[in-house]
Amino acid sequence: MMAQMVLRRLGIGFIMLIVVSIIVFIGTSILPGDVAQIILGQSATPETLAALRAQLGTDQPLYIQYLSWLGNMMTGDLGISKAGGATIASLIGGRLGNTMMMAGIVSAIAIPLSVALGLWAAMHPGTWLDRIITFCTLSLISVPEFFIATILVLVLAVELHWLPSTAYLSGDETFWQLMKSLAMPLITLVIVVSAQMIRMTRAGILNVMSSPYIEMAILKGVPRRRIILRHAFFNAIGPIVNVIALNLAYLVSGVVIVETIFAYPGLAKLMIDGVQTRDLPLVQACAMIFSGTYVALILVADVASILSNPRLRQPK
Amino acid sequence: MKDKKSVSGELGFSDLDSHHQALVEKILRKKRGGDYSRRDALKLMMATGVTAATASNLFVTGGQAMAQTPKKGGSVRFASSLHGPDDQLDPPKFTSTIDYTRGRATYNSLVQHANDLTPQPELAESFEPNADATEWTFKLRKDVTWHDGSPFTADDVVYSMSRHQGEDSTSVIKSVMASVDEWKKVGPHEVKAILNTPNADLAVLLGMFQNKVVKDGTTGDGIGTGPYTMESFEPGVKSVHKRNENYWRDGSNLDAIEITGITDPVARVNAVIAGDMDLVSLIEPKAFRQVEAAGNVTLLSAPAALQVGICILLNTAPGNNPDFVKGMQFIQDRERIVNKLLKGKGTIGNDTPISVAHGTDFCSELPQREFDPDKAKFHFKKAGISTAELFVAPVAPGIEDVSLLAQANAAKIGFDLKIKKVPTDGYWGAVWMKEPMNAVTWNMRPTANSQMAIQFAPGAEWNDTYWNNDRMGELLSLSLAETDSDKRHAMYCEMQTLIHEGSGMVIPAFSNINDAVANNIMGIPKVPLGQIGGCEWPEFIWLA
Repeated sequence: MMAQMVLRRLGIGFIMLIVVSIIVFIGTSILPGDVAQIILGQSATPETLAALRAQLGTDQPLYIQYLSWLGNMMTGDLGISKAGGATIASLIGGRLGNTMMMAGIVSAIAIPLSVALGLWAAMHPGTWLDRIITFCTLSLISVPEFFIATILVLVLAVELHWLPSTAYLSGDETFWQLMKSLAMPLITLVIVVSAQMIRMTRAGILNVMSSPYIEMAILKGVPRRRIILRHAFFNAIGPIVNVIALNLAYLVSGVVIVETIFAYPGLAKLMIDGVQTRDLPLVQACAMIFSGTYVALILVADVASILSNPRLRQPK
Repeated sequence: MKDKKSVSGELGFSDLDSHHQALVEKILRKKRGGDYSRRDALKLMMATGVTAATASNLFVTGGQAMAQTPKKGGSVRFASSLHGPDDQLDPPKFTSTIDYTRGRATYNSLVQHANDLTPQPELAESFEPNADATEWTFKLRKDVTWHDGSPFTADDVVYSMSRHQGEDSTSVIKSVMASVDEWKKVGPHEVKAILNTPNADLAVLLGMFQNKVVKDGTTGDGIGTGPYTMESFEPGVKSVHKRNENYWRDGSNLDAIEITGITDPVARVNAVIAGDMDLVSLIEPKAFRQVEAAGNVTLLSAPAALQVGICILLNTAPGNNPDFVKGMQFIQDRERIVNKLLKGKGTIGNDTPISVAHGTDFCSELPQREFDPDKAKFHFKKAGISTAELFVAPVAPGIEDVSLLAQANAAKIGFDLKIKKVPTDGYWGAVWMKEPMNAVTWNMRPTANSQMAIQFAPGAEWNDTYWNNDRMGELLSLSLAETDSDKRHAMYCEMQTLIHEGSGMVIPAFSNINDAVANNIMGIPKVPLGQIGGCEWPEFIWLA
């Protein structure tokens, strides 16, 4: 039953990836200018453009370019960057590691922190503590991340000199130095993703708290803390896990602004660079990684919510 | 120290403590070539309590101290304003500051530019044209080796230079180097360039970023003859360069250079002020105050011919009406643009692409076109045009503000100038040379001739205002063969006058090249062709 569902979802996920790759391919192609024009920029002449297009193979019809990309992709060959000439695998390799490291550390801090704070707020609704948490999370959700990042840089790097202003990795730093270089983007991202997860945890639990069986438990005199941890939390886990999954996916694919401000070499920035140079194979490879991450994380979230809630296992 | 003081009777630079030495250095470095002023002397007198005569002595001895032999050792980090997966090590494909800088660290050219753009020997120990400048002979150095140990020979030069020619060439400077027909090996250390038209400026062109020499048969794999060897290179992330211990001349003072990019302008300024970076390129006008207020960094501002320009296409409406062009030229409040929009870090333009930075070929005799709303109104009225649309992307410093200022001034005389803001992304293919009126900039070229030829030669590929003037074409080739300096200047003046009067270019101002570097970096060259001394710094800087 469960295995069947997972397999079916994987199948749908695969078809979705193909559809996404077609959409991304077409989308990048209809932008004005092609890779040859972007590389040569202001110094393009019809002659050099034609020569470069022939060298890069971009003078072929679009569908042939797409099919040859798809064919290579299936055999595990990501291709060569049209703009720079490096292999896509080498471009992505280190950056994928950087992105995963950042996402990993942020979620290791942010998930326990937000679930704990959300639970705490839900245990004491209406108290000053709850109001402070609600006020802070709502304010932080409304503030764009580049603002938080810039304020942090101004205070912690430029004024106080406590932390470096960029997340520059020289490759041979100790663990402590690494943490120091990463501190600023980490703080920014923890703030950004936590706010949403805290809100969702609090709301999810309070929602369950209004259901009849909780009322029953209250009437039977079960302590509030026990009600929440034993009964409410597991029933609220579905929406919470989904929000966590979406935030994790965002950490992998959507942190381009934080990457730019802290000059952190991650994947999101690479994809934007790829779009700007109309580097189709590079954009495609990044898009596949991002869509794949979404598909996988949402699958995990669904499995988790089914496991935590037996009712979902029975088809209606 | 003590007796030195008693001999001269004056306090010298070496007598100061490190704090005051830094102060003197800062003032001297700010001037960068110019003399110190009375205000500087006053500043120093206030800070140290010395007399005016002593202050002046401090500057002299300080300047000498700074010109001292470079120290070896240390390493620096440089952040450029742009980088990405398209970063290059292959010179003919170089397009951005980060490529040029890596090129300078890794390779050498035949010829390099002095600060005044005169050609100096580099890999070529001598270079000479024949009498009519149709053939150039280059004698190469014999003591140069590649980073892999193999000797540098004429084959490498012929191979590298020929890559800018031929049908398959995708070189960025193919059209600039079009006057060369063939590169010929004469001996193991001698090559000849055979030209199809006389070109007395060829040596200067050979100093361009894309003319770096690579090893025979390679396409930029990072093996060069330059002052630093390539340790690692990740496009869009960073590169690490280590001192080349076998460099063929004195240079490469640092142990290592790391080159990266920070695309966000605010983050870039913060990084250099916070000390995370030692050099950063491209500081925007709105950050000047922040950089100048920080005590640990110096704002470098070098006059250059970086156009803040507007192209009006002459082959279509409204540009096909000469009065419309005149109206657009007279509506530019040039002084305000330089003083307010560029915060004084720029020079006033005269609707020609040649600026004082081009040296003797600049025509200072040409009367300056002033801001004159009445004349603009007259010309717009005569043209019978009361509205037009200008396409603007942030391609040049301040160009968006320049357009808005023109719009405001045009509104005062009843002319409706519409501004259409478009992204830089894809701009050169989709907007430039296509929309009737668009923002433009050009990198400064090393010679006035190449600067004008690229944009104003009749029928040139990038004649972006579609202005075809036969006399202009004639003068462009005549001036290249002219060796008499007075006659040459007269020709260049005539060309600038033709452009000023007839072309569709509006060039109200030139932006300086603005960068920021840490105070302890010494020996930065002043070549005006690119960021931070024309990207020539890797070979020359040292840490105080």
